[in-house]
Amino acid sequence: MTANKKLTEWRIIGETVPGASHLRAGIPNQDSILQIRESSRNLPIVLSIADGHGSPKCFRSDRGSRYAVKESAQLVSEFLSERRGKFDLAEIENKGKEYLPQEFVKRWRELVEADLKKEPFTIEEFKNLEEKSDVKARKLVEENPRLAYGSTSLTVALEEDFVLYLQLGDGDMLNMSETGEVTKPLTEDARLLANETTSLCLPKAENDFRFFVQKITPEQSPAMILLSTDGYLNSFSSEAGFFQAGTDILGMLGAENGFETVSENLKGWLEEATQMGSGDDCTIGIIYRPNALKKPETTVKSETVTAEAITTNSQTGEKTVEIPETLLPEMTENQEDVTVTITIKKDKNKISKPPVVTVKKSGEEPLKADFGNNAENPKTDE
Amino acid sequence: MIKRPGGELASRPLHFIWIADSSGSMEQDGKIQSLNTAIREAIPHMKKVAEDNPNAQVLVRAVKFSNGAQWHISQPTPVADFAWADLVAEGETDMGKALELVAEQLKMPPMSDRALPPVLVLVSDGQPTDDFESGLKALMNEPWGKKAVRIAISIGRDADPEVLQKFIGNSELKPLAANSPEALVKHIKWASTAVLKSASSPAAAADVPKPSEPVASVPIPTAAPIAGAPTAGTPAGAPTPDAADNQNNIDDVW
Repeated sequence: MTANKKLTEWRIIGETVPGASHLRAGIPNQDSILQIRESSRNLPIVLSIADGHGSPKCFRSDRGSRYAVKESAQLVSEFLSERRGKFDLAEIENKGKEYLPQEFVKRWRELVEADLKKEPFTIEEFKNLEEKSDVKARKLVEENPRLAYGSTSLTVALEEDFVLYLQLGDGDMLNMSETGEVTKPLTEDARLLANETTSLCLPKAENDFRFFVQKITPEQSPAMILLSTDGYLNSFSSEAGFFQAGTDILGMLGAENGFETVSENLKGWLEEATQMGSGDDCTIGIIYRPNALKKPETTVKSETVTAEAITTNSQTGEKTVEIPETLLPEMTENQEDVTVTITIKKDKNKISKPPVVTVKKSGEEPLKADFGNNAENPKTDE
Repeated sequence: MIKRPGGELASRPLHFIWIADSSGSMEQDGKIQSLNTAIREAIPHMKKVAEDNPNAQVLVRAVKFSNGAQWHISQPTPVADFAWADLVAEGETDMGKALELVAEQLKMPPMSDRALPPVLVLVSDGQPTDDFESGLKALMNEPWGKKAVRIAISIGRDADPEVLQKFIGNSELKPLAANSPEALVKHIKWASTAVLKSASSPAAAADVPKPSEPVASVPIPTAAPIAGAPTAGTPAGAPTPDAADNQNNIDDVW
């Protein structure tokens, strides 16, 4: 990466809501979400979500998922920051594949153990467990206290030249192209069926991670990456419906005030999804590249409007430019105005810098051009 | 109002399948009629359980086996619309073929990977007369067959506990012995309510693995065992069929 390379702008949106069935059962939201972004630098961006298991045995999984996002995001951020400016994708792939899962699981366990030391299991917790499950469940937790904190983990990290994906357990990550094409960056894990999931609380959790480093090129750069816990994707009647959610959100982000629209509505969408769908906690994390979503700038055909087309009102001094219909952009019903860039040809040898012309939709009214301060004497290229 | 992103939302399907023995021996001592009655009486309770969890769509159907096996109720029917059609007893006990039929329907598709673990309840009074092992293998070859919550109820003394235990595939969960119409009603009700509730509960939606297993396992509800066997536990909040009721307060008929 060169020092003067223009950094790509990325934006992040995320939300988590408690599951409808969790609310009915008095179970807290056991999902978590966290982003880490270096303040001194645009990148790396690290976004992590986690889904604490809802089983009675996992009665502290809300903490487990919080520890998961904290440690995963922090670790990946450190891992990338250490290599700032010295990215060797092969090395990141090779080292990351082994180091990140091992170190992450180790750190997560340390947090769990510290929590247990600070707050050992209470009689009340075991009593609730036996009421909701049985004595055997209590025995399992006593044998492996980490069960109480069980959680999945999904983390994505963005650098200028690559995206790193790290996942343990269920949930999904989608990669969306500028054209709305949806792909899954990670291979499917056939074991994740019937709510069975690999988990941080397993003895050999580090062996169950999925990992991928995607190189970013001018031709292949994601427009949006979406992370979701299984509560959201399971709320759709089909996987296609979930993919459609990604495509729809991408479209919304590309519209005017897209960031605000999605940010303000995301919580409501997730609440509707859990109520009408899975009933599980729902969490979404979105990273997107605004530049990839900008609609193509309205351009005028490469023709010029001659100076003769501009007339000046002798009384008001107001200038009017007549633009041939063929040069006008297509306008939709609801479009208020468009910005048209035109080139005014003063004479055969001098071309003005393009002034901005606001074309109102009013139709029959003469189109007016505001040439600003240089209206009288548009500066021309020498 | 901004349109919600994504396709159609839907609660998660939970397939509940009765696998019912309708062999000729079920005619003796009114066993088939008792089974018909027990299932019919259980339906309102199933509906209540389903209503309590609107995020699971309980879909019920039934396979019968005698000379061969057929879908008795072939369409996965929302429990609210489910009605039991009486079985008629005749012929052999081709249990293996019944499992093959079920296995076929547990393939993906028609099953989707967002479903909740299916519940299979096998009810039989005798020994299989066909290749049971082959049918069981077909069932267990399907991911959803392996993940299914499998419950077995034996009617009378002639049922083969070993076969039913193989179907369950979990040494901690024993076949439920129904030696009277009352016990049958009790066990059918338990399977269709407590087990159903456990399989569809939010807790069941995210369990963790046993430490000895590579992947998390579904919290298979453990039912009260047949008399004399140690208690293995019950599904969350499930009223256990009382072994004492079975053996002391209810006279054996079959």
